[in-house]
Order: sequence, then C-alpha cells, then structure tokens
Amino acid sequence: MFGISRRQWNTWLVNLALVVICFFALIPVATTVLISFKGERDIIRKPPNFFPCDTPERAFDPAACRWSVEGYQRVLSPKPSEGGLLPFALTGNIVRIYIPNSFLYAISTALIVVFLAGMSGYAFSRYRFRGRSALLFAILAITGVPLLTNLLALYQMGVTIRRAQLPFYDDRLFLIAVYTGFFLPLSVWIAKGFFDAIPRELEEAAVIDGCSPFSALLRISMPLALPGLMAIFLLTFVNVWNEFIAGYLLIARNELKPAMFGLYEFLGQNIINLQVIAAACILIALPIVILFVFARRSFFAAMVEGAIKG
Amino acid sequence: MPSTSPPQTQTKKKRRERTRNLLPFWLILPTVLVLLAIQVYPAIYTIWLSLHERQPAGWEYVGVNNFTRLFNMGIFAESAGHTVVFLVGYTSLTLVLGFIIALLLNRKLKLSGLYVTLLFIPWIIADIIVGIVFRLLVVPDYGLLSGILQNPAIFPPNGISVLTAARPPSWVGGFPFPPAAAMVYLIMASAWRALPFITLLLLAAMQTVSTEVVESSRMDGANGWQVVRHIMIPLMLPTLVVALFSLTLGGMNGVGMVFSLTGGGPGSATEVLSYLLYVLGWSQLNFGRAAALALLIAVINWILILGTLRVTRVEERTH
Repeated sequence: MFGISRRQWNTWLVNLALVVICFFALIPVATTVLISFKGERDIIRKPPNFFPCDTPERAFDPAACRWSVEGYQRVLSPKPSEGGLLPFALTGNIVRIYIPNSFLYAISTALIVVFLAGMSGYAFSRYRFRGRSALLFAILAITGVPLLTNLLALYQMGVTIRRAQLPFYDDRLFLIAVYTGFFLPLSVWIAKGFFDAIPRELEEAAVIDGCSPFSALLRISMPLALPGLMAIFLLTFVNVWNEFIAGYLLIARNELKPAMFGLYEFLGQNIINLQVIAAACILIALPIVILFVFARRSFFAAMVEGAIKG
Repeated sequence: MPSTSPPQTQTKKKRRERTRNLLPFWLILPTVLVLLAIQVYPAIYTIWLSLHERQPAGWEYVGVNNFTRLFNMGIFAESAGHTVVFLVGYTSLTLVLGFIIALLLNRKLKLSGLYVTLLFIPWIIADIIVGIVFRLLVVPDYGLLSGILQNPAIFPPNGISVLTAARPPSWVGGFPFPPAAAMVYLIMASAWRALPFITLLLLAAMQTVSTEVVESSRMDGANGWQVVRHIMIPLMLPTLVVALFSLTLGGMNGVGMVFSLTGGGPGSATEVLSYLLYVLGWSQLNFGRAAALALLIAVINWILILGTLRVTRVEERTH
C-alpha cells in the first residue's frame, strides 16, 4: 500500500500508540501547569474552562488569554528587602522554611547512605566471610519493609529521646537517622552490584605494588565506582524529598518539617485557590523533575541494579 | 641484630593478616548498627506496643485485648474491604496497562529513549503531589474534569461529583463493592504513578524472552495473542509475580495519596487499612490498637516479601 511495507506500517502504529500514551501520561502534569498560570477570576468560574482565553464573542482567542502568575506570587510572597543579595526576599513559608528543610534532609541522608552503602557494598562484593550470605539475604528482605508499620515505634522512640534532652539533639537528627535506615538496604544492593562489575584484579595489582587494602579501596575502586555512588545519591535524594508521612509525624515543631508537609498544610489553607496549590506543587516537584530529566541514565542504572536484578 | 629481624616481620605479617580479615567486618558494622536501630528494634517494639495500652501512669500490659478490640471495630472490617477493592483494582489495572506499554516498547524504535523518559516522569513525582494534582482536576464545581463529570447531560441522571458521591448500595453483604467514585479515582491516580516502574520491570523481563522462540512460533502460524498467551506470559511468570507482590506491598502501605486526594472520604469510602493506622494512632491517639493493626499489616508484608524472595530465588545471588 503506497509502497510502504507492512512492517513500516506496524512501526508507525506503535509510534502513534506510544505518543498517545505519553500524552495521557503527561495530561495531569500539563493541567497542573495550566491551572498554576490562571488568575483567581478564571479559577472560580462555573463551569470551568480549560484555557483562560475566551471572550464574549469567541470560545478561544489566543490574543485574549489572561495568563497570570498570581499563584506563584502567593506561594513565594516576595517582599522588597534592603541589604540582601537580591532586591527582594521570598517570604512564603514554603520557600523560606520547608524547601530548605527538605534540602537539608535529602542531602545529609543521601551523603550518609552513599558512605555506608559504599563501605558495606564493597565488603559484600570483595570478601567472603562467615555469615555473608545470611546477612545479604536479611538486607534484601529488609529492603521490602515499608516505613508505615514501624512508624508507631519510631514515633515512640522519638518521644523518648526528645524527653532525655540530649545536648545538640533535635528531631532533625532522628529523622535523618530514620531515612538513612530506610533507604540504606536497597543502596547496599545497588552498591554491591556496581562493585561486582569492577574487576578485582585492579585492586590486587595495587596491593601487590605495596598499597594497603584500604587505600586500594579509596584510590582504585572508589573512583571507578563513582557513577554507581552518584546513582545511589540521586535515588536517595529523590526518595527523601518525596517522603511525606515520616517527616510529618516524627518532627514535633512545624518549622522543622519538610516541603511535603508544607504542601499538605497549604492544601488545607487554600481550598478554593487552586492556582496557588498548583503553583506550590510545581515549585516543589520541579527540582526533582529537572534532576531526573538530566540524570536519567543514573536513575535507570540504579533501578536496574537494585530493583530489577534485586 | 639480624637474628631478631625474621620473627619481627612474621608478627607484623600476622597483624596485617588479621586487620585484613577484620576489614570487611568494620566496613559492614555501621550499616548493621543503623539497620538494627531503625528497622529491627522498632519491629520488635511494635510487637510490645500491640500488647500494651497507654494509661496516665504508664504502659499497662493488656494481652491480646488490643487485637480483639480492633477486630470488633466496625471501621476495621470496612477498611479491610476497601483495601481489598483498592488492591484488586490497582494491581490489575497497573499490570495490564504496564504489560501493554512494555509490549509496545519491546522493539527497536528511534524514539524509545524519549518515550521512556516522558513515561517515567509520573514515577519521580511524590505521591502526595500526585494526589493533589488529581484532586485539582475534580474539585467540586471548579476542577477541570468536574465540568464534564458533573454534567447531567453526559453522565445521567445527576452527573458524578467524584469527591462527594457516596458509595452505591453493596451487592454482597457489607462488602464495599461497587466502590464509590472516589475509590475508582484513587485507583486510577495510584496506577498512574506506579505504571512507569512496572512497565520497566516487565520490559526488562520481556527482553530476556528469546526472539528465536517467538519467531519460530510465528512461523508455525501462531498469532500475536497466542504468542503472548502461550510463550511470553509463561516465560515472564516470575517477573509478573514479583510485579504483583511489589504493587500489593506498595498499595497496602501507601498513605500519601489517600491523604492528599480524598482524606479517606467521602465519609469513609476511601479509608484503607494504612490510613486507618494513621487515624487510630495519631487522630484518636489509640496507640495500642494502632500497633495491633501495624503488626497485622507487617505480617502480610512479610508474607509478600518472603514470597518475592522465593520467586526470584535470591539465595543463588547471595553467593
């Protein structure tokens, strides 16, 4: 037919189907972006219209679109400030308190997890010792345990430690410890997989040349394992950033809670102002989506290593 | 002087040997300590909590009272029913769609990298944000989909208001089927977020099915459906089971989506067991009963986890 073979037709149809699926997969994201750029007047219309572009004469007139950044303004609430680096300061709670908190939790957890998983993944990959298989099996089993069922006990532990009034201690340390405990098991398996892929002859040669086993690990294997450790860092960062229930329940003071809590609180405060909620969602999800689009190879490598093989 | 030298090097060598033998131990120790403190101890503590009740004076041992009281609560049976409906809908929808998309991606396409990246964006978005995003679409009167769904001309007799429509009368006893519109919507939103991961999992398994087997059965006259039914599904069975278990595990314990999308409502129409755990523990401050429920969920989790480990024959890979 028209000089196109059946096979080419098939490829065309598959591509068409995938385009349609991608379209549906991204509709909720697209509508959120759309809502976030509407003004209050277009948000509270009945019945709602998709684009804020109608005029009394025409249903859709690109020239008459009433796009607005009001939602973002109300999330960020910029106020003029003097003496700062910028001529204005962002005073909205989400950007001033909650997003920095999430950065703190995500970065510190990810660093600790990379460090611990790097060490133990290396040991599991390179050494044969008594109890190794049993320990690996136990770690893999723990990987599947969800946070939810341990949350009551962790909450009680948090209350007890808080009462002890230790110096330099606040809930933030406890939350980072909890996140580390939950995202570590998978990372150990990912790290082991990455180290398994590095030929051990390289280290053995270094040891024969007079390097100690520990410095062989630091100087030879670590640089080669860097992409793997990077993947663990990114995966843990995203997992912590996206976590809601532990950050919500294990931290007592609101000003120490992470961004997902800020968003949840915001949802209760803006029941009708959909554009404000949408803008807050976009601001919190955007860093992660950008990270993913630019580092997707890293994410997929970690997933293949951890979830699909493991 | 030269005579003392050999024994000295020998002890040095021995010491070096010993540190080398202990090195893996030191490397693993911090991980084991963290896991004992954050995973093992709380699990045991939960068992203790489930047997105690908080009194003004302290914790009192109450035996299995927490369990009997939990089972006697009307909301427990109802939530269990909601969980079953949710899990059946969620796992079957995600597995079927994931299989179809994996089937489409399982060939050489110029744009497959782009498709995978785009399809994966839902997976990277937090469940609480996904809940809000889907909620915005169906907010009564103002949501973009509400304009269509609430229109009586399209959905007679009165249109559907997803977030407020009560559950229709049950078909079988008190079992919550057919589900409320909010439950169907919750299933769709959850499936939307889980699809990318399941698609990739199934695609990886599909690529290990040898093309020769498929080609030769094609030559023997098998049509597309027969190839899927008699060759792909049997060969991918372990992965399908793993996918089913991991979806069940996630669906059973996920709570963020319920929080932000429906808040358990309307009424208690989307109150699943994981959300009930939160309500018992932190809204009603009934820690004993909540711990009993946590233990129950944990037992189901462990059955699923051990099932997964069995299917993937993980012992072979721990060597």
